[in-house]
Amino acid sequence: MWDQVGNSLSHSMAEMLNRFAGLLPGLAALVAALFIAALIAWILGVVLRRSLKGIDFDRRVQRWGFGALADWSPGRSPTRLLTRVVAWIVLLIGFLVGISAFDATLTSHLVERVFAYLPNVLAAVLVLVAGNIIARFLARSVLIGAVNMNLQYAGLLAAGVKWLVNVLAVAMALEHLSIGGDIIRLAFGILFGGIVLALALAVGLGSRELVSRSLDEVSRTSRQSKRETVGHL
Amino acid sequence: METETIDNLGPADLVIGLLEATREEDTRSGLVLTREALSGLPDIQRAVLICRNGAAPAVPEPSPDQPSVVLYNLHPPAAAEAPLEAITTAYRSVLGYGEKLDARACGIVASSPRSLTPQWIRRLVQPIVELGFDLVAPRYPRHRMEGLLNRGILSPLFRALYGEHLQNPLGPDFGLSGRLLRQLLENDTVPRHAGASVVVSIASLAARSGFAICESSLGGRNQLSIDGLNLSSLLAQVLGPVFLDMERQAAFWQRIRASRPVPRFGSESAAAADEPGTVEIGQMIESFQLGSRNLGDVWGAVLPPSTLFELRKLSQLPAAQFRMPDDLWVRIVYDFALGHRLHNISRDHLLRSITPLYLGWIASYALELESAAPPDVEARLERLAVAFETGKPYLVSRWRWPDRFNP
Repeated sequence: MWDQVGNSLSHSMAEMLNRFAGLLPGLAALVAALFIAALIAWILGVVLRRSLKGIDFDRRVQRWGFGALADWSPGRSPTRLLTRVVAWIVLLIGFLVGISAFDATLTSHLVERVFAYLPNVLAAVLVLVAGNIIARFLARSVLIGAVNMNLQYAGLLAAGVKWLVNVLAVAMALEHLSIGGDIIRLAFGILFGGIVLALALAVGLGSRELVSRSLDEVSRTSRQSKRETVGHL
Repeated sequence: METETIDNLGPADLVIGLLEATREEDTRSGLVLTREALSGLPDIQRAVLICRNGAAPAVPEPSPDQPSVVLYNLHPPAAAEAPLEAITTAYRSVLGYGEKLDARACGIVASSPRSLTPQWIRRLVQPIVELGFDLVAPRYPRHRMEGLLNRGILSPLFRALYGEHLQNPLGPDFGLSGRLLRQLLENDTVPRHAGASVVVSIASLAARSGFAICESSLGGRNQLSIDGLNLSSLLAQVLGPVFLDMERQAAFWQRIRASRPVPRFGSESAAAADEPGTVEIGQMIESFQLGSRNLGDVWGAVLPPSTLFELRKLSQLPAAQFRMPDDLWVRIVYDFALGHRLHNISRDHLLRSITPLYLGWIASYALELESAAPPDVEARLERLAVAFETGKPYLVSRWRWPDRFNP
């Protein structure tokens, strides 16, 4: 009996070692693919960084009206952001190539699905980036307008607008990624409605302040007939 | 159709444009006032008066003892057009017709026709026709709280940049010689959508090209009252083209080191006596404080940390002690001009975000001159103009090395 146990153990050990040995070429290929991808990513990163610095990309991005991009770039440099994005994309491609080297049906199927899913990911990233830029731009417009109208709730209004657009962008991105389904729609509806309600309240309160101030001004003007006017031009 | 008619008019010695004469009665009174004004100008034989009420062009009967004045009407401004944009379009039309008619002088009145007098027209064109000047800039009598954008930014900025003391470098009423208007039209090549304004270029071109400039005291004009929201639009519409012109002419103004007063004509009528009323200073300070609390990020994109720190300190002062130092205000204006050039944030956002700072400056100015006599007001404004000149090296340094020179 002990012989049988020993036999089956050595048999399973041999089988496992055989399987592991079968995986080794794939693993080596994965490591090699990752190493080559890292090398390409590094070379591309250096070339891209130098080229972008050569054309003063950071300044140009600001001049093209995408100054907000700097706010969420590492070191406030869009050049660094772009370089890192390109490097990570090359690394990801290297990883996927390495995975496919295992030559298993499962992994090739996985790679196929990942590649098919990639456009959705890119579209979602684009939606998020565009949403963020638009949110910041609109929030700033609202903030400056509200401050110039002397509304004490200027910051709240601007934050409301920013979150409104960001929530919309996130919901759209998740829709692109086919994540969440109905739950996301429901959550988005509740969040969006909540923000609109909050904004409506803020605008209502702000308007009350505006109306009372203008009424106050009218009554003060009628009381003080000698109020001096300010001319700008 | 307009061009055909204007071509048929033949040459004229003088072109007068009344840009705000958009009603029939304004046209009629404009014609009478122009005839009266020309009776004191023997060198003018033929003049064309351009109004904007869109009626059919009329050629009145010439009278033997008066110079002939031909009336020509432009289309009235479109309802959708912004007022300042409409004025710029009308300016271009009048200048274009002045060139087409080969006029020796061109007088443009953009103020309300209610302010117009024969003397007003005469003083705009007489220095050109009789004394050989090329540009006549206007002077108006103002009490201490009038013309504050001119007093606080435009006039001292123009003086520091181009070295000429002008009370109103942006007019809006101007007298131009034929030579100047031809050069102006030659240089007016920037596309309109780029935000350039021919009104802004008039005085800067005259100063740059060595044209003879003088000022004429015209008389009182009506001031429009503007609320907070319109004020930010006004600032954006006025300062945008000014900063753009500054950007285009940087090579010239960086070489200017000193300034000089220009010759003045006409006796200055006294401003309407200052009403001993109150200015809403509290509201302006409140506006400044609100801006200081909320617009830190926007201001931070154009103002250096030292300026932001000073603004924060200023926003915490009680109203009675609220004073914005001249050098701080000068640096703010210069940094906004630089921010406009660098395009760090949207230009519209940048220009509108200056509103609370401008209101802060007005509040400080009003508090300082609460009981000041007119000579004290002028002395105060002279100190501000000198501060703009003294601060010019700061502007030049930041303009040349915006990243390296950041105090």
